Amino acid sequence: MRTVARGIAIALALALTACGGASSTGTSTSNSYQGKTIQLGAILSLTGAGGVYGPSSQKGMDLAVEKINNSGGVNGAKIALDTKDDASDRPQSAQVAQTLIQQGQLLALLGPTLSNSAVAVHPLAESFKIPILAVSTTGIHIVPDCNYPKTDPCKYVFRDSLGEESAIPANIKVYSDAKHPKTGVLMVANDDKFSSDGGKIVQNTVAQYGIQLLDTVQFSKTTADFATPVTKAVQKHPDVIFITSLGGIPAKIMIEARKQGFTGQFLGGNGFNTAVVSKQAADSGKGAESGSAWYINNTFASNAGFVQAYRAKYSADPDQFAAQGYAAILILADAAKRANLTFSDTAGDRTKLRDAMESVNIDTPLGRFQFTSNHDVKQTIWVIQMDGNGGFTLVKSVTPS
Amino acid sequence: MTQQVLNAIFIGSIYALFAVGYTLVFGVLDVLNLAHSAVFMLGAVVTYSLVALHGMPFLPAAIIAILVCGLLGLLIEFVALRPLRRRNAPPISALISTIGLALIFVAIVEQATSGSLFSWLWQDGANSVRFPTGTVPNPTYHVAGLTIEGTKLGILIISVVLMLVLGYVIRFTQVGRALRAVAENRRAATLLGINVDRIFASTLFVSSALGGLAGLLFGLALSDISPYIGRDQVELKGLAVIVLGGMGSIPGAVLGGYLLGLIEVFAFVRFGSNIEAGVAFAALFLVLVLRPQGLFGARLRERL
Amino acid sequence: MDFFIQLFTDPVGFYNQHELLIAQIGINAILAISIFVTFYSGQLTLANAGFMAIGAYTTVIMSLYLPTPLPLNILVGALLAGAIGFLVGLPVLRLRGVFLAIATIGFVEALRLGVILNVPITGEGQGLKNPSADPLGGIVPILISVPIMTYLVWRLTHTRLGQAWAAIREDELAASSNGINVPVYKMVAFIISAVVAGYAGALETHINFFVDPTEYSVTRTIQILTFAVVGGTTNVIGPIVGAVFLTALPEIVRQFAAYRDVVNGVILILVIIFRPQGIVGRGGLAIIAPRWWTHWRTRERAAAAH
Repeated sequence: MRTVARGIAIALALALTACGGASSTGTSTSNSYQGKTIQLGAILSLTGAGGVYGPSSQKGMDLAVEKINNSGGVNGAKIALDTKDDASDRPQSAQVAQTLIQQGQLLALLGPTLSNSAVAVHPLAESFKIPILAVSTTGIHIVPDCNYPKTDPCKYVFRDSLGEESAIPANIKVYSDAKHPKTGVLMVANDDKFSSDGGKIVQNTVAQYGIQLLDTVQFSKTTADFATPVTKAVQKHPDVIFITSLGGIPAKIMIEARKQGFTGQFLGGNGFNTAVVSKQAADSGKGAESGSAWYINNTFASNAGFVQAYRAKYSADPDQFAAQGYAAILILADAAKRANLTFSDTAGDRTKLRDAMESVNIDTPLGRFQFTSNHDVKQTIWVIQMDGNGGFTLVKSVTPS
Repeated sequence: MTQQVLNAIFIGSIYALFAVGYTLVFGVLDVLNLAHSAVFMLGAVVTYSLVALHGMPFLPAAIIAILVCGLLGLLIEFVALRPLRRRNAPPISALISTIGLALIFVAIVEQATSGSLFSWLWQDGANSVRFPTGTVPNPTYHVAGLTIEGTKLGILIISVVLMLVLGYVIRFTQVGRALRAVAENRRAATLLGINVDRIFASTLFVSSALGGLAGLLFGLALSDISPYIGRDQVELKGLAVIVLGGMGSIPGAVLGGYLLGLIEVFAFVRFGSNIEAGVAFAALFLVLVLRPQGLFGARLRERL
Repeated sequence: MDFFIQLFTDPVGFYNQHELLIAQIGINAILAISIFVTFYSGQLTLANAGFMAIGAYTTVIMSLYLPTPLPLNILVGALLAGAIGFLVGLPVLRLRGVFLAIATIGFVEALRLGVILNVPITGEGQGLKNPSADPLGGIVPILISVPIMTYLVWRLTHTRLGQAWAAIREDELAASSNGINVPVYKMVAFIISAVVAGYAGALETHINFFVDPTEYSVTRTIQILTFAVVGGTTNVIGPIVGAVFLTALPEIVRQFAAYRDVVNGVILILVIIFRPQGIVGRGGLAIIAPRWWTHWRTRERAAAAH
C-alpha cells in the first residue's frame, strides 16, 4: 500500500516538475507524446566576437534540456537540441540556419546570438514557416518587423531577450525618479548596430525625463585609447554619461572617465549586464545602473533552482544569457506541451507550436514570462547596479504594464 | 586641447613601438609579418596570465612575457618563414603563412575558458579583461590643468628609450651592420659570409619581443586585454604607420607612430569620431600617392 | 566528414541543404576571379572589398529608393564600381608591389570608415536591409555567372590583352620598352577587376538581406587574396579552386567545434608551405620538397651514376 502511495506521489511530483512548476492554462499531463522526440536546433556564436555570449546561452539551454528530459520530458517526449556554431559570421549563420531547416526534422529554432546575424536568419525562418526564438538579440527591428523596412509582422519570429527599447527607458526612469539629473552626454559606437540602436533609444527617451543631452560623442568600436572621446564627454560636466556599447568598451569608458575626474552617474544598456564587465570596470563601475532581464540573486523558486543547478553542473555562476537560454527551452517545452503535436506533419506541427507559443505564461529564471502581441518580451525589468567588485545589486524592479 | 595632444603622444608611443617591430622585419627581411599583431596580443595575455592567474608580480611577469614573445618570433621563423625560403617560394606566400599563424594564436586564446585545454594560459575566452587594480602603481599627476597618468608617462619613457637603444644597435654595432647588409642585398650579404638564417631568427626574435612589449603596455595602460586587441586595434594602423614613416626605416616608424596618433586625435576633435580613422587612411593614401617612400624611406623598393 | 559523405551519396539533398553555402562559394569564386585579373597583370591590389561595397550599396540603395528592376540595379552597381576604380587607379597604379597593396588598403578603409559610416543614405553603422533579397532564388544568377566569367577571363588571357598583361607581370620595364602601353593595360585590368568585384558585391546582397560596412573591410580582401594565393595564380582556375576550398573549409572542419579556426590556420600553413605556388600552380600536382631533400636526392643519383 505504502509503495503504491509513494509511487503515486512520485509520479505526481514528476508530472508537476515536468510542467516546470508553472501555472498552466488547462494543460494535460498525459504522456501523449510518449516515445517521440521534440527536435530543436540552435544557431549560436560559439566562436568569434560573439563567443562571449553564445557559450552561455548554450549552457543555459543544455541545462534546461537535461532537466526536462530527466523529469519525464514534455508529455513523455524527449527534447533533442542540435546546436551549431556560426562563428559570429553572418553568412555562415544564414548557411547553418538553412541547412538545419532543410534537414527537415526541426520543430523550432533558437538564436542566432548576434543581431547582425538575426537580420539574415530570421527572415529565412519566417519564409520557411518555422518558429524561431531569439535568445540574446536585444536590438530594434527584431520583432515583429524582422523584414524591416517592410512593416508586415513576421509571424514565426519571437524573442525572449528583453529589448533595449524596454530596458533603457525603464532604467532611465528609475534613476530620474530617484536623483533627477538635468544633463547627460551619450557615448555611442557608430560602427556597431547594437550600440547605435541603443544610442537612438537614449536620444528618444531622455527628453521625457527632463534630461538635456548636451552632446553625442561617437567613436569607433575599434578605438584603442578612449581618453580622447571620454575627454570630450567629461569636459561637458554632465550629470550622467550614457554608454550603449558592448564588450570591453563600457568598462574602458568608465575607467577612463573616473581617471579624468568624472563623478557623475553611468547609465547603460545590455552591455553592462554581465559579471565580466562589472569585474573589468571594478571600482570605476561602482553604482553604474542598467535595466536587466535577470538578476542572479532573485530568490523566487524558478530562479533559485536554476542558479543552484547551474552552479552544480558548470562550477560557475550563470549570467543573463544563460538565463535567457534556459528560459527559451522552458518556453518551447511549455508551448509543445499544449500544442497537440502530431509528430507526423512537421509543417503543421510548426504552426501549432507557433500558436501555442503566443499564449505562453510561465515562471522562468527571468521571472513570470509572457509574449506581447508582437512576440516581444513581457516580463519584469530588473534595474541593477554594479557593486564595484564584479557583481551587482538590485535597485528596483519594474513590472510590465 | 593640450590634454588631447598628450593623449595623442601616448597612443602614438604604442603605435610606434608596435610599428618598429613590423618595420624591422619588413625592412630587413622583406616580409610583412602579419602574425605580429597576434604576438602583440599574446604579450598582454601572457603577462596577464602570470599576474592574475599565477600571482606573479608585474615586473618579472612582464620580462618573462617579453622573452616568450621573442621565442614566438622564432616559432614564426621556423614554422612559417624558413620552410618557404627553403622552397624558393614566392614572397607573397610568407604573407599567407603568417596569416595562418595569427589565426591559430587568436583562436587558441579565444577558446581558452576555464576548464579547457589552455585554461592555464587564459580563462576568459573572447572576453575583455584588465589587470587587477593595483598591479602597477598609477599615480595621476595634475600639472598646469592637465591630467597625466603615471603609467602612460612611464610607457612614453620606455618607448623612447627602447627606440633610441634600437637605433644605436642598428647603427653602431656589428649585429646592426649585418642587419643593414641583409636589408640592402640579401645575396651579397650571403656572399660576405653573413648567415642569413641567423639574421632572420634574431630579427624575428627582437621584433616579436618588441611587439609583445607593446602589447603588454597597451593592456596595462588601456585596461584592455582580449584575444582581439592585436587585430582590432593596431594591425591596420601599424601598417599605416610604417607606410607613413617609410617602410624599413626605424626612425620613420617611430615618427610615423606619433604622426598617426596626432592625426587621429586632431581628426577626432575637429570632425568627430567616425571620420578619425577614415582620415588616417586617407592620409595614408595621399602619402603613398605623393611620396611613396614615406617620410623617411630612403629608396623606393619594389617587392611583391 | 559527413559533409563529404552527403556530397557524394545524396547530391540533391546536399544541394538543398547547403544552398546558401554553395551561393557563397560562387560569390567568393567571382571575387577570386576579380583578384586574379589584377594578379595576372602583376599588380597586388587589395581594393576588391571596397569595390564590392560600392556594388553592394548601390544596388541596395537603388532597390530601396528607385523603381528600377533588379538586374539594372546590379549592372549600375558593377559599372559604378568600375568608374570609381578608374578614379582610384589614376593616382595609384604607378605604385608597385607592396606600396600598391597598401595604397589600395588605404582606399578600402577610407571608403568604409570615412564615407560609408558617415553618409546617412548608407544607413551608416547600422547598415541597410535589402527587402528584395531572395536567398534561395538568388543562387541562380551566381551559378550562371561563375562559369561564364571564368570562360571570359580565360579567353581574355589568351588575347593580345592577356599577353600584354603577362609581359607586364614578368618584367614591366621590358614590356614598356617593347612598345606596350603599360599604364593603359594596367588600368584596364584594374577596372575589370573593380567591375567584377562590384558585381559580386551586388549579388551577395541579393542572398543576404543585409548590407553593412563590417563586411567590406580589409579582412575581406585579405581573405580573397588568400583564395588566390592558396589556389594558385597561373591560370584562372586556381583562385576559383582556392575559393571553393577555403569557403567550404569551415563546413568541412565543423566537427572540430571550438578549435575550428586552429585547424583552419594549420591547413592554410600546410597548403602554402607544401604548395607555395598554389593548389593549381606550376609543377603539376607535386608537393614541393625543401632544398635539402632535392639536393640529397641529386647527390644520391649522382653517386649511383658513378
